[in-house]
Amino acid sequence: MITRLLMTSLSLAMWGTVGTVSLAQADNIPIGSATNAIGTLTIVRTDGVQQRLQGKGNVPLYEGDVLKTDGSSQALISFAEGIEVALNENTSFKLLSRWEKDKPTVRILRLKQGEVWAKTAGGPKRFEVETPVATASVKETEFNLKVQEDGQSILTVIEGIVQFGTPFGTCPIRTETISYGVRGKKCTKPAATDAKAARAWTDALHGTGK
Amino acid sequence: MRRLNYSTPTVLLAMTLAGCAGAFEPTKIGSYALEQPAASAVPPSVPSRIYVANESSNDVSVIDATSFQAVGTIPALNHSTHDLAVSRDGRRLYATNLASGRVSVIDTVKRETIASIYTGERCHVVALSNDDSQLWVANIGENTISIVDTTTFRILGTIPVGKGPTGLTFSHDGRFAFVSSQGEKTVGVIDTTSHQVVKTIPVGANPHFLVVGRDGHVWGVNTGQNDVYVLDPETHEKVGTFTVGDKPQQIAFAYKGTAGPLAYVTVGSQNKVVGLGGDPGNLKVVDEIAVGEGPNGIWSNPEGTRLFVAHDKGNEIRVIDTGTGQTIATVPVGRKPIRVVVSR
Repeated sequence: MITRLLMTSLSLAMWGTVGTVSLAQADNIPIGSATNAIGTLTIVRTDGVQQRLQGKGNVPLYEGDVLKTDGSSQALISFAEGIEVALNENTSFKLLSRWEKDKPTVRILRLKQGEVWAKTAGGPKRFEVETPVATASVKETEFNLKVQEDGQSILTVIEGIVQFGTPFGTCPIRTETISYGVRGKKCTKPAATDAKAARAWTDALHGTGK
Repeated sequence: MRRLNYSTPTVLLAMTLAGCAGAFEPTKIGSYALEQPAASAVPPSVPSRIYVANESSNDVSVIDATSFQAVGTIPALNHSTHDLAVSRDGRRLYATNLASGRVSVIDTVKRETIASIYTGERCHVVALSNDDSQLWVANIGENTISIVDTTTFRILGTIPVGKGPTGLTFSHDGRFAFVSSQGEKTVGVIDTTSHQVVKTIPVGANPHFLVVGRDGHVWGVNTGQNDVYVLDPETHEKVGTFTVGDKPQQIAFAYKGTAGPLAYVTVGSQNKVVGLGGDPGNLKVVDEIAVGEGPNGIWSNPEGTRLFVAHDKGNEIRVIDTGTGQTIATVPVGRKPIRVVVSR
């Protein structure tokens, strides 16, 4: 009995210690998976180890991974929360998250270069894409975001509302409009655009290409 | 393979049209004041506290700034807690965590970490914009400044800076941010309206800590050549320098009786605090106070009569009466205390 109590106390003490060390998601719990690559998707783990996906598959993704496509590759990934993301050619981003007390974790892509398309499904999500000059924050939406060499970021909302923020203000960008984020400036007034065309590059990844 | 459908000319046209419209005004977010109750319901003030970042115990020690009694410890919920910034109303504390690359957001009333924000590899120092709406964080591992909205906790932008950003402060008028870069031996001046580095000032070997003084001059330490330097807030030129000894660490401003404000510098290897006074171009030692092992972080009370010195080897805070140079309280804190700040 005493031994059991001691072991229970020890377990609780150990749990308490572990529980207060870090909020970061455990490194061994996948947050999503890479499901398709036209060409090659390179996944660089936090320890520098690389893994590649060519064609269809199911490669687990972890917090801190960097995903890259080259000039002739595209890829498709999905997160456990029900968020689908496509990477166009020459795209690179890092998988991050933000923890806030009593709220679901915010899934974050830090887009270094290239272009992503994203769609959330199954209810509101907490999802953001960061670029060097702006951040797109969504709940239920489908959008395309491209970052250019100088950091200029082009957001096209296909469906829903995206909060498009720069250090100088945040704009709600709605269905079938486009807005630009530029260093040192507010996001531009949304302008009408053929938003569905912006996702055409993902057709092959989704198996809907002609 | 399908390609992006809009061409560059189309994009440029859209940008031009958008730029001409003019009437669209994005919502300015991030103003901390927006979160405050109406003026008729002024929230109760938060007691003045001393906060200490303990790098090896990954937490923040809280000390009452009046009684100098320990109040508690707040786990940062990250690794290698390094620098601190406290909001003007004392309700929010922001802590960088070097090993995690994250900023911990701390509710000082509840004394708990309420958010953890990834800013970049080896995030080192943090500074609040003058209106508390934005948090600027220097990431040594990425040579960038991350800009965090203090209301939404979103990263709103990233500014590329020189190699090894290790010091960060804003000018009194908020028009400029100053960033020291160890790898380039310079301080970069960032225009806060354009987010461009508008000037680079050579300052010396291993520039590290930066702080703005009570008169607006910007003070920095060079850990590589054992001196401090002073930058003119208008011309952005180096106007003064003084050798204080091996391992100069941080600077705070306080009075010694009628003399001052003096720039008190912790000198890590000599277990002392040196008080510099005089014209920035002709600095001299006005005060020298022996302290404990490994003085590092330093802060002063608003009146400039007390210094709070963190000792990274002694794992303690010493409260010093600048009038007499006497230590009037010693408070044990966590392991390797690096930074100390005091709420108003």
